[in-house]
Amino acid sequence: MLSVKDLHVVVNGKEILTGLNLEIKPGEIHALMGPNGSGKSTLSKVLAGREEYVVTEGSVTYKGQDLLALAPEVRAQQGIFMAFQYPVEIPGVNNTYFLQMALNAIRKARGEAELNSLAFMRLVRDKLKALEMDESLLKRYVNAGFSGGEMKRNEILQMTLLEPSLAILDETDSGLDIDALKIVARGVNTLRSPERAMLVITHYQRLLDYIEPDVVHVLSGGKIVMSGDKSLALELEAKGYGWVQDGLEQAA
Amino acid sequence: MNTLPTSPEAIATLLGSFQPVALEDDLLTPDDVEQLRLTPVESLRVVMLNGFFMPELSTLPQDGSVTVATTLNTDSPDEGVSIRIKAGSVLAQALEVLHVSFSFESEFIAQPRLRVVLEAGAHATLVEQYTHLSDTLCLNNAVVEVFLEAGARLSHPRLQQESLRTRHLSSLHVNQAAGSHYHGTTLAFGGAWSRTEFHVAFSGTGAHCDLNGFYLVGDQQTHDMHLDVIHNLPGCSSNARFKGILYGNGKAVFNGNIVVKPDAQKTDARLSNDNLLLSRAAEIDTRPRLEIYADDVQCSHGTTVGQLDPEMLFYLRARGIPQTQATLMVCDGFASEIIDTCNAAALQQQAQTLLAKRLASVTALAGVNDA
Ligand SMILES: Nc1ncnc2c1ncn2[C@@H]1O[C@H](COP(=O)(O)OP(=O)(O)O)[C@@H](O)[C@H]1O
Ligand SMILES: [Mg+2]
Repeated sequence: MLSVKDLHVVVNGKEILTGLNLEIKPGEIHALMGPNGSGKSTLSKVLAGREEYVVTEGSVTYKGQDLLALAPEVRAQQGIFMAFQYPVEIPGVNNTYFLQMALNAIRKARGEAELNSLAFMRLVRDKLKALEMDESLLKRYVNAGFSGGEMKRNEILQMTLLEPSLAILDETDSGLDIDALKIVARGVNTLRSPERAMLVITHYQRLLDYIEPDVVHVLSGGKIVMSGDKSLALELEAKGYGWVQDGLEQAA
Repeated sequence: MNTLPTSPEAIATLLGSFQPVALEDDLLTPDDVEQLRLTPVESLRVVMLNGFFMPELSTLPQDGSVTVATTLNTDSPDEGVSIRIKAGSVLAQALEVLHVSFSFESEFIAQPRLRVVLEAGAHATLVEQYTHLSDTLCLNNAVVEVFLEAGARLSHPRLQQESLRTRHLSSLHVNQAAGSHYHGTTLAFGGAWSRTEFHVAFSGTGAHCDLNGFYLVGDQQTHDMHLDVIHNLPGCSSNARFKGILYGNGKAVFNGNIVVKPDAQKTDARLSNDNLLLSRAAEIDTRPRLEIYADDVQCSHGTTVGQLDPEMLFYLRARGIPQTQATLMVCDGFASEIIDTCNAAALQQQAQTLLAKRLASVTALAGVNDA
């Protein structure tokens, strides 16, 4: 589904990703771990299409096409969803209106009929209930004044509404209490299917107790330096990232 | 042509270069009013054509809670309308004043005069609209005076949407007695150039004034917002929030003055002005000024001038929303924080429609910041 080859990315003149390789097949869940500043969010933004991040080398293929040639909205319409580590506040834009615009833009691109307000409200209420989210979040402006936890839930709500083929969750678990964490996990697990894939970026093993990854990668210094099964996450948790870096230095 | 006269002399010269227009009967029809009105058909409505009161097109009150009289000042040739709302009356329906410019003449001047008095404890909503039916060159020179007696409350949404050949000068004077409450929102979509003045004065303590304003200034347009709020008595509060969106070579001036006199202890005065510039050629000159001569007060002011936030656009686009629509949504959101203060559904709807139409017509909205 997603094939990243030798990806080099420069932000503001600084190379952040330095030859990253990643293969994700339909149905798989990949966890991406790594110390702060290693380039995890850079990867998620490049995949979502943020123009500021300049690809200088390498390629990204998604469902057989050159992903890097597509505008961000086209990527979303073709099934890519990135839950932001830091969601953006958009004052004055009603959250319900935003969600409806997003869903209809994607439905339109898929050749499906747009939903009217009534049908949309019915759908969004169902999703809210499943996520145990408060309906008051719908009436507020997009992320404006939301607590960290509310923002993360809003990201998960968007994900379950838009039903992406490839979901990238950028530290959606950070700063969440255990109940909120279970809600995020539920959102992910209900989407899990043989056609869908996910890249779950996380700092902690915690989330992976609820979302079982097929593969765990460690990102360090702008490339993936280690991959393994879910036991790798446990080992990292126990030994810390220093262990990865030491190993690299010894190998060098 | 589009430079705005600011000195009194320049304004006088300008006024002199426009001709008074005669009252033309049968020019404006009930159908036109039906098209233009922003309140339910049965609402009380005062219709003014080129500054003249049009009683046959107006819907006047029957029950005595509101009286409408013409000619404010017998010494003056200006015709005016005076609306008085009886003490303690709580009007269930909004009152509308519709100012229409429409003539086959050119370079004419309209001078609407409006005085609104809310007697003690009266509550009302006054919807005011400045609009046009013809595209002729004219000058609208309006004076609106609002008197709120003790404990009166007025909600005052105003929409200015004039032709791109119209010049607009208007001044709003708000006079507030003890414990009165004024809540106004002026949405200015402009003419060729416009200058809107706000003057707020208090005659009693414990009064509150909310002044909200939004201006959309496009190519070939100039808009000047001038604000004077004088706190001369203790215990009053004022909150002025103005926002503007500028594009093309549009120019705007925001001149906000708040004065807190030595006796005005316990004043709470706030002033903010935020501007969104969609093009490099657009210009805003923002001058907020707080003059404080009392020590036990709470005052704040802040202004911002910025471009569309790329983070916001990216967030919307990452959810599948096309760039043009995302740009509209961010602009609309920016303006909505003011438009939503109107508490007048039809007027808000009209303002949103105008905003969307105007912004959609900005060519190559995509990448507006590079223009
Ligand atoms: N917009 C930006 N401008 C400059 N530097 C950036 C920008 N975004 C990220 N970086 C830098 O890139 C590096 C990787 O950041 P990031 O991808 O956010 O890491 P992670 O998500 O793994 O913590 C950091 O050193 C960070 O300071
Ligand atoms: Mg990050």
